[in-house]
Amino acid sequence: MPSPSDRGNAARLLRSGAYGAFAIVFLWFAIVAPGFLRFGNLTDVVQQSAILGLLALGMTLVMIAGGGNVISGGIDLSLAANLGLTAAIYARLAQDGANGLTAIAAALGAGLLVGAVNAVAVVRLRIVPLLATLAVSKIVNGLEFVLTKNSVVTATSPIQDWLSGSGLFGIPEMACGLVLIAVLVWLVVHATSLGLRLHAVGAHPEAARAAGLSVPAMVAGSYVASGLLGSLAGIFSAALVSGSSPGSGNYLLPVVVAAFLGVTFSRRQVPTIGGTILAVLFIGLLANGFQLVNISTDWIDGVEGVLILFLVGWTTLSQKESLDA
Amino acid sequence: MKSFHRYGLPFTLAVLFAMFASISPTFPTLANLHSLLMNHVALLSLIALAMTLVVAAGGIDLSVGTAVDMAGFAFIASLANGLPALLAILFGLIAALGVGLFNAVLVAGIRVPPFLATLGTLFIGHSVQQLSTGGGVPIYLIAGPPRPIFSEVDMARPWLSLAAIAVVLVVLDFSVFGRRIVAEGIAPAVARFSGLSVRRDIGLVMLGSTLLTGIAGIALSSGVHSYSPLSGNAYLMDAIGATFLGTTFDANRRANVIGTILGVLLLSTVKNGLLLAGVSFYWQQVANGTLIFTVLAISFSTKGKEATALSGH
Repeated sequence: MPSPSDRGNAARLLRSGAYGAFAIVFLWFAIVAPGFLRFGNLTDVVQQSAILGLLALGMTLVMIAGGGNVISGGIDLSLAANLGLTAAIYARLAQDGANGLTAIAAALGAGLLVGAVNAVAVVRLRIVPLLATLAVSKIVNGLEFVLTKNSVVTATSPIQDWLSGSGLFGIPEMACGLVLIAVLVWLVVHATSLGLRLHAVGAHPEAARAAGLSVPAMVAGSYVASGLLGSLAGIFSAALVSGSSPGSGNYLLPVVVAAFLGVTFSRRQVPTIGGTILAVLFIGLLANGFQLVNISTDWIDGVEGVLILFLVGWTTLSQKESLDA
Repeated sequence: MKSFHRYGLPFTLAVLFAMFASISPTFPTLANLHSLLMNHVALLSLIALAMTLVVAAGGIDLSVGTAVDMAGFAFIASLANGLPALLAILFGLIAALGVGLFNAVLVAGIRVPPFLATLGTLFIGHSVQQLSTGGGVPIYLIAGPPRPIFSEVDMARPWLSLAAIAVVLVVLDFSVFGRRIVAEGIAPAVARFSGLSVRRDIGLVMLGSTLLTGIAGIALSSGVHSYSPLSGNAYLMDAIGATFLGTTFDANRRANVIGTILGVLLLSTVKNGLLLAGVSFYWQQVANGTLIFTVLAISFSTKGKEATALSGH
């Protein structure tokens, strides 16, 4: 049996592994990639990470409230489809000349609705989250298909221009947006009683119930919040590519990878907001650095795969005694 | 009423079948059902059965598509390089087993949880395929001399699928190894304290199951006379869907062969039926998702009440 200190050591080791890998990659690119350390480049990395970051934040919330088991626990596979649908809704409305704010409101409403459907499916209908969100993502994906006829919808609006532009000190607004939203979510999850309850519900549903918490309400809330974050990602995406284009499904697995990679950055190897953001930035730095040193982007997926295996393998090997399967 | 949830899946399948048959005269024809079984059902059942084995053992395999792709790649590339057909098939299977071995080492050796291990494999598989095909260029063997092996594999599809059903059924339900992995899947901690090597067994399952995905990969690429990178991933979500839909057929919610096959039939019927029923092309996916969602809702919510009754003292 592993003693608590063994676990602590292992977690520390893993954390140092994750942070070490981050530092090595950062330093390596700083040395070999021309222009990598430029302020403008680094803020660009944050901007390019914004969409994945928002989606991964949603996934993290659901994972925190749903508990650690990947199959029966919390997971939201509809986030990528949510992005696709909300970007399409925004683009169609903006194209038809709707007010930018109206289009944003409609997109956010759709995202909330997707989240609510997930919440009902998981909490009320008691469908396994993996399956429920998969089925919902099929429907949502289909709705995007209906809306866009599977083609590019171009749309421009002042709000999009503002969102995809740069503000104070030349920092892209989207980078600011990601930081702002991440800080907000971090505050709620890690510094309020609501966040504490969220953790309690995910870690020990029975104990949380016994303590008088409403487990279904918290879990449902996490899916709704995830839906909202998905639609924010959709709006960001619409601003970044001036409309909507098919292929949102490409985000499905990267979101899962980012959220699980984030776990390796946390002290107790649980999903955390900070860990997820670090993981997202890590992935963003990799993509950016590869581009700067002219390595084919075909390598990125593989490097991400090796990274997650390396970091997760690192912990499990460092705590040989604990054999909990 | 007690076992109603168990029969939700076959019942819905029958209702859908009757519905599509009454809407579309083409749907119940022998030609359509034959092509449905030969194509979508045969391929998906192979992959879903592999998934069923892994899920029954308490894991999940997100890299089934990778094994499908690797097998197709090795098979087609071997043929393109003029190797004899049998050798090409052998290489195809070896390539799939390579993916399985990689998963097995990660899960049994380094003790990475199956979900993350196979997620890593999936991502590495993406890069391997992109890099080895110059950024994702397919290999076509459509032109050139006729290759009898393609039609032979096509003919063998239903038999391969039936053989896979029989083998997985025997392994899961009638073998000592099957008993063991099912026990490990239900209660890994208990199994481990009873002296079973949980991780070694799930590693073996992950290795063995890629034989099925490998066969599917060869059958798939043989059917289209080509290999296109990352095409196997299209089956991942359907295989997971079929397996977990299938768990509703088991009284204890475990992955089981008959349930999985019913799940495969349901997914294939819905896809084919909506197409033939003349549902607008763009709405098909919405209808598809909604139908599957409804089946899930029916099967899970009925079970859910019992579960609440049990846990809510």
